[in-house]
Amino acid sequence: MSTSESLPLVVIACKVFQGLLEAYLPEDVAASTTFKDYGLHRVPSKLTWSVQDEIDRIEQPSLILLGYGLCGNGLRGVKSRQHTLVIPRADDCIAILLGSREAYLEEFESEPGTYYLTKGWLESGSDPLKEYNEYLETYGQEEALWLMDQQYQHYKRLVLVAHSRADLDAFRSQAQAVAKFCERWDMHYEEKLGSDRFIARLVEIASSLDKDDKDFLIVPPGGEIRQEDFIGG
Amino acid sequence: MNETLEKLSTCILEGDSEAAPGLVQQALDDGVVPKTILDEGMVVGMNEVGDRFRRGDMFVPEVLMSADAMQSGLEILRPELVSSGVKLIGKVVLGTVQGDLHDIGKNLVGMMCEGAGFEVIDLGFNQKPEAFIDAVKEHQPDLVGMSALLTTTMRAMGHTIKSLEEAGLREQVKVMVGGAPVDQAFADRIGADGYGSNAVAGSDLAKRLVGAG
Repeated sequence: MSTSESLPLVVIACKVFQGLLEAYLPEDVAASTTFKDYGLHRVPSKLTWSVQDEIDRIEQPSLILLGYGLCGNGLRGVKSRQHTLVIPRADDCIAILLGSREAYLEEFESEPGTYYLTKGWLESGSDPLKEYNEYLETYGQEEALWLMDQQYQHYKRLVLVAHSRADLDAFRSQAQAVAKFCERWDMHYEEKLGSDRFIARLVEIASSLDKDDKDFLIVPPGGEIRQEDFIGG
Repeated sequence: MNETLEKLSTCILEGDSEAAPGLVQQALDDGVVPKTILDEGMVVGMNEVGDRFRRGDMFVPEVLMSADAMQSGLEILRPELVSSGVKLIGKVVLGTVQGDLHDIGKNLVGMMCEGAGFEVIDLGFNQKPEAFIDAVKEHQPDLVGMSALLTTTMRAMGHTIKSLEEAGLREQVKVMVGGAPVDQAFADRIGADGYGSNAVAGSDLAKRLVGAG
């Protein structure tokens, strides 16, 4: 598949979006897409190097779709080199799964103390229950609970987010087990049905680059992803 | 460096909250002045914690344990600092901004500022711009410190500075910002007076901003 500007299309994305992207990308592109590990964003600088490394391996000038958001500044500083980059203008995967950054910011306003769970995160990322079990092994129960309390005592809500009902159904019991543990901090459990809009449009925009599209950042050759393109001043 | 201070610094780095008070006491018994115990023992350890965390060589649980060790050492040291005549060098209002409830970093900055000789008024987390304004009016601080962990909430720092301007209070305080997604460029963009990359850098900055660094 090539774009309107006849650049070959390459996709580099977080595993969180694997299923979603595979549904929208042409088969050959999906097959050659690099889906990178979840959780790289915990150390944002590692995410930057790792994505840059993928980009630097591509020799032919290409249109590269990045299945990421700003991700705790993990994508900040990524250079386009000879390529053109397209990236959703979203803070992180939750905004992308909810369908828009406005929807995400609304959630923040209604309940700032929210811990989000997603399919990808539940499959191979982390959650408070997993974290507790890891601490338990390393530090013993008393210390593990102290560490958990320090980190999560102000949270009020646990939200399972998915772009489809099928995913909500598939991950409900796992999310509810986490929710049970989080009752320790009186957190309540909710489910949010998001949308595949962001990802669908990311793929769509590849064939008709619209530089004025506010939902996507397009970085031309020789450019760099900057925090202010997401945050504003 | 004094051997006890070296041990104390390592003990903070390793997050040994049980050993910290004893080592502080030992240094005091050795005749080390309280300010030196803080600056050349505890702060050295905490500085290393900040650097390692930033590089991804240390994670949240270890930082929490270091903070706890720092706290337990300070409990012994604080009265000694006060009675040794370390005078208050300023007043700082601290808070995590609206929409953000992460306070581990902010608490650490508070602890370091207190150690450095500031009176600290801690507003807590998820604080609206109005809360900062009210606190500036009520406490007349030299400094306002804001913290955020998320890129979604760091915007609120800029909003808070604007609100301080609109309330006519911006000129009477220095504003410092910090937190994982924040950097100097962001601080400059929103018109803050300074940025601290970790808790020690934050308290050093606070000292500089009141002319005591």
